[in-house]
Amino acid sequence: MTDMTCTYGGDRDQTLIAYLYDDIEPADRASFDAHLPTCERCRRDLAALGGVRQRLAQWQPPLPQLRQPSPQSPINPQSPINPQSAIRDPQWWRQVPVWAQVAAALLFLGVSAGIANLDVRHDANGWTLRTGWLKAAPIDAAQASRSADDAVSKTELTALEQRLRDEFRTVQAASVASPQPVRAATAGDADVLRRVRAIVDESEKRQQRELALRVAQVMRDVTAQRQADLSKIDRNIGYVQNQTGVEILKQREMVNYLMRVSQKQ
Amino acid sequence: MTWTDEELVARSIGGDADSFNELVLRWERPIYALAYRTIGREEDARDVCQETFLRAFRALPGFRGQAKFSSWLYRIALNLCRDWIRRERRAPVVQAPEDVDLIEMAAAAEPSESIEELVARKDLAKAVERAMTLLPEEQRTAIVLKEYHGLTFQEIADLVGCPLSTVKTRLYQGLTVLRRELNKSAV
Repeated sequence: MTDMTCTYGGDRDQTLIAYLYDDIEPADRASFDAHLPTCERCRRDLAALGGVRQRLAQWQPPLPQLRQPSPQSPINPQSPINPQSAIRDPQWWRQVPVWAQVAAALLFLGVSAGIANLDVRHDANGWTLRTGWLKAAPIDAAQASRSADDAVSKTELTALEQRLRDEFRTVQAASVASPQPVRAATAGDADVLRRVRAIVDESEKRQQRELALRVAQVMRDVTAQRQADLSKIDRNIGYVQNQTGVEILKQREMVNYLMRVSQKQ
Repeated sequence: MTWTDEELVARSIGGDADSFNELVLRWERPIYALAYRTIGREEDARDVCQETFLRAFRALPGFRGQAKFSSWLYRIALNLCRDWIRRERRAPVVQAPEDVDLIEMAAAAEPSESIEELVARKDLAKAVERAMTLLPEEQRTAIVLKEYHGLTFQEIADLVGCPLSTVKTRLYQGLTVLRRELNKSAV
C-alpha cells in the first residue's frame, strides 16, 4: 500500500496552489520540485486539481450583446453608459416573472381604456359610459334632420316670449279699463297655459329621443371597442401559441436526438 | 496607436469622451464575465457591468493611478456583486437551462467538434456552474479572479483586502470542493 503521508516542510496546501498556478517564488518552486517525486499524495492532488482547472475552462458565461460603438455615436460623457443600450438582451422578456407579466397585462388594459377614452359619468340621467374621442354622438342624416325639425330655435323662443309679454300687457290693460271682460282674459290665460304645456311636452319628448340616441351610440362604441380588443387578444394568443408550438417542437427534436444518441451508445 | 489604460484615463479626465469609450470597449466583457461568474445571473450581471462603468466614470476625476485601472474597475465590480449578494441574501443561482436550439448549438460548435462533443462540453459547463454556486463567496471570488482573469495572488489579496496566504488557502479549499463535486457528477 502506498504511503499517503506528506512530509513537505512548509505550508503544503499554499505551496501546492502556488505551484499549480505557476505563481511561486523560484526557491519554493525548486523545493517543491524536489519534493514531488517523493510524495504520492502531492502528485495525486496536483494532477486532480489540474483536472479541475481544465474543467473550469469549459465554463464560459453566455455572451451578451455588447454595445457596438461607432464614431458617429460615441457615449455621451454626461451619461457614459446608457442602461438601455450598453448591453442588450433582445429576449429579456423571457425572464420576466409571471407576476410582472400579469402586472404588465393590467397596465396594458388600463392604457387601452385610456386610449379608448373610456368616460364614466354619473348625473341626473344616471350612469353614462362613453368611449371614443368624439364628444358629440354622430347622428345619421335622417335622425339629424328629424332633430333639426323638432328643435326650437332661440329666435322662436324669443318671439314666443315677446308674444306672451304682449298678451299679458293687453290683458292687464283691458282689466284696468273695464272689469267686464274677465272671461276673455281667463280664456287668454288658458290658451297660454295650453301652449306652454305643449312646449314642455315637446321638450320632454325631444330629450327622451336624444337620450335614446346617446345610449345607442354608447352601445355601438362599446361593441366596436370590444371587438377591436377581442381581435387584438386573439392575435396575441395566436402568437403565443405559435411560439409555444415552436418551443415544444424544438424540445421534441432534442429529446429524439438524445434518444438516438443514447441508443447508439 | 494603442493607448494604455492609464493614458486613456488621463485623456478621459481631460474631457475626451472617446477615450472613455475605448476603456469601456476594452473592459466591458471582462467585467461582465466577472459579474456573471460571481452572481450567476445574466441579467443582473449586465446591470452590474453597466453600473460599474457608470460609477467609474463618476469617480474618474478622483482616480489618482495608485492602482491599475483594471484593478480599480474590478474592485468596483466586486463591491457591486457583494452588494447584490447581500441584498438578495442568497447564494448565486444557477439559471434554468435555456431552450436548446440545435441550430444555435451547431453554430457554437468548434470546427473540429462533433455535436456529441458539444453536448458534453455544455453539460460540463453546467456542472461547473452548479458546483461553483456551492462555494462560499470568498472562495468563489478568488477562483474567478485567478482562473478566469489571471490575476496574481498579490493582486487578488489587494483587491479583496486580505493576506496573500488567505488567498491561496481560499483557492485550495475552493478547488478541493469543486474537485469533489465534479467527481460526484462524474463529468
